[in-house]
Amino acid sequence: MERDDFIREPVKHIRIDGKLTVDQLIQQFRNSGSFGAGRLSAACDIYERMLRDEKCTVFLALAGAVVPAGMRSLIADLIRERRIDVVVSTGANMVHDAIEAVGGHHYKGHWFVDDYVLYKYHIYRIYDVFVPEEDFTKLDYKLVEIYDEIATESNGKSLSSNEFTWELGRRLSDSDSILRAAYEAGVPIFLPAVRDSEFGFAYWLHASRKTSGKLLLVDAFKDLPEIVSICKRSPRNGMMVIGGGVPRNTVQSAALASKKGMDYAVIMTMDRPEIGGLSGSTLEETVSWGKVKSAANKIMVIGDAMIVFPIIVASVLERLGEDFKRAPYLKPKGIGGI
Amino acid sequence: MEEKAKTAQKFCGNCGSHNAYNYPNQVFCTLRFSKGKEPIVQTLWCCEEWNPSSQECYCIKEAEKKQNKR
Ligand code: SF4
Repeated sequence: MERDDFIREPVKHIRIDGKLTVDQLIQQFRNSGSFGAGRLSAACDIYERMLRDEKCTVFLALAGAVVPAGMRSLIADLIRERRIDVVVSTGANMVHDAIEAVGGHHYKGHWFVDDYVLYKYHIYRIYDVFVPEEDFTKLDYKLVEIYDEIATESNGKSLSSNEFTWELGRRLSDSDSILRAAYEAGVPIFLPAVRDSEFGFAYWLHASRKTSGKLLLVDAFKDLPEIVSICKRSPRNGMMVIGGGVPRNTVQSAALASKKGMDYAVIMTMDRPEIGGLSGSTLEETVSWGKVKSAANKIMVIGDAMIVFPIIVASVLERLGEDFKRAPYLKPKGIGGI
Repeated sequence: MEEKAKTAQKFCGNCGSHNAYNYPNQVFCTLRFSKGKEPIVQTLWCCEEWNPSSQECYCIKEAEKKQNKR
């Protein structure tokens, strides 16, 4: 690199007037190109490229309690409009989707509260979101019925977590539900750590009931050939990562197993790399594993995904315009879109 | 003393097998559920399989309040 290469593009200062749209604000961020503003504008560019690339399959990795916090309809809409082709989520996010699908609610609360009083009122806290215990209990009750039904129908055959979520979506009627939207759009939803959620507790109830006949069998190992095959068959792959953890690693490991590596990657996290955990690991570190290509379009945005992701989506949808139609490269086939 | 005697009384609402259901009047009993019996019971009911809960909650107090209002 020559000296001039380092000082090629001056910072343009952000100008704000009262008429800025979301994408116009992002363009101002791009002009600055600095710090979080620069990263956020780069993330919008990369997501736009993913969507305009007709041969790219877009994965959404979902960790952290964004569904109870208010991102449910946004994600369901992205699935229906095919701005997302595959979802890999924590079990908990889909549990919270199902809670609302069967009539429960999440409530605006506060982080400054006596948690023992909440305990005594049977109210659970997710930072500043409150969930009444009865909404979990009612879901459990319903889930056990559904598990009994699936177990009878599958007759001893195990399901991948994607087949399991497809069966759940099939039985829910709420049009705002992520599970329902995915079932209708043929978008697979994988829950690699399905047991670590209320879905696991409901399984325990289902298995403990003496009257239960057949037991539901969900085998997370069965997810692997399904998700690796998606990466393999898709000419290019991109991932939008909210948080990190098991969902992020499931997506990027599928890219590694298919000997491809991700072509596009946007990660939204507040985690740090110094402690060696996956959620804070940098994209450069991920390149060393071959999970993301060295030449990939990639950026990590350090910020609260509840703020960052809706801004990215709003900006990119504005760029694409209302007439933009996107068909998935891999056409959904049978159960679970596989 | 009277308060103590009250909390010592056995109800579904202070049993270790209860979960909130139709708060505060009814609770969901996991024990009955596992036995294939109707799991939704009155908070102020009780059965022979009562077992202590690890931490106190407001179910009984709230159910009684509601009952007294009627
Ligand atoms: S029915 Fe019996 S076991 Fe169940 S909550 Fe009531 S007292 Fe406890």
